Amino acid sequence: MMAPGPGRAGNRAVGKADTMRGLVMTHGGIGRELVNVIAMIMGEVSGLTAMSNHGKSAQDITTEIKGWLAEEPGEHAVIFIDDYGGSCANAAQLACGPEPQAAILSGVNLAMLLGFVTWREGTEFPVLVRKLVDKGREAITTVGVR
Amino acid sequence: MGVVLARIDDRLIHGQVTVGWCQQLRPDRILLADNAIAADEWQSEIYRCSVPPSTAVSVMSIAESVAHLKSRAAGEERILVLTGSVFAMAELVRLGAPISVVNVGGLHFAAGKKELFPFVYLDPMDLRSLRRLLDLGAELRAQQVPGGRDFPLDLDHVQEMEARF
Repeated sequence: MMAPGPGRAGNRAVGKADTMRGLVMTHGGIGRELVNVIAMIMGEVSGLTAMSNHGKSAQDITTEIKGWLAEEPGEHAVIFIDDYGGSCANAAQLACGPEPQAAILSGVNLAMLLGFVTWREGTEFPVLVRKLVDKGREAITTVGVR
Repeated sequence: MGVVLARIDDRLIHGQVTVGWCQQLRPDRILLADNAIAADEWQSEIYRCSVPPSTAVSVMSIAESVAHLKSRAAGEERILVLTGSVFAMAELVRLGAPISVVNVGGLHFAAGKKELFPFVYLDPMDLRSLRRLLDLGAELRAQQVPGGRDFPLDLDHVQEMEARF
């Protein structure tokens, strides 16, 4: 049950997952463009998918995320969302359930995603999550001002 | 004071509500009226945590919501009432909640629904509930966000939609 509009044009998935998977779940086309830019910088990477909430009810967003999680049940994963407290955040929590296999990180930016594709191999999951949050925060700063 | 907005939105508490309408209307409390969510403490907590602490959030069943909205305490607060369906809003009004204007704010596409506005998709059950709201004397207005266009929604709209099914 998908909604009409630009978000329906398809979720942007790069490569087949053979490593820890990431989902970039955002308003509008933010996630799709972030994943596109990751591919421009890193080349094709596996297991990074974009989804949009565009034109979808909370129930449909939740169902779509559940479907993504169910592709690799029980495996650690990271869901990146763009804004705390919005439909993406609520749906991600509802999809993951009270004992989530995935970490949900709010405030996604390019630095976080670059960190994810760089560090996801060989980093303990809780450490990876902490590093991604720190990386995202470090990237938000003034530039060229001392 | 009392109800400053009664909104039907199948995303419930989300950005258009917490940023758009709350910045415009400054409610003291968001009242989420939903039987299923109210019966699930974990889901209720997700919605309570999705709002900045300056705004209180109550998650109540339809019956509890009506009782609260009719209470003296409710008259002393600015309350934004949310339901996820037309049916739930019609139930609030039918049971006597003091709601005179209903904001039809977001009903997304799903199988069996047809478009009335780009942000309002309805099925026959929704239309029956809209009729009930009109019969109960509620004024219906379709508006997604405060800065967006405000469309009055009357019996003619309902009848035109019914003819499409």
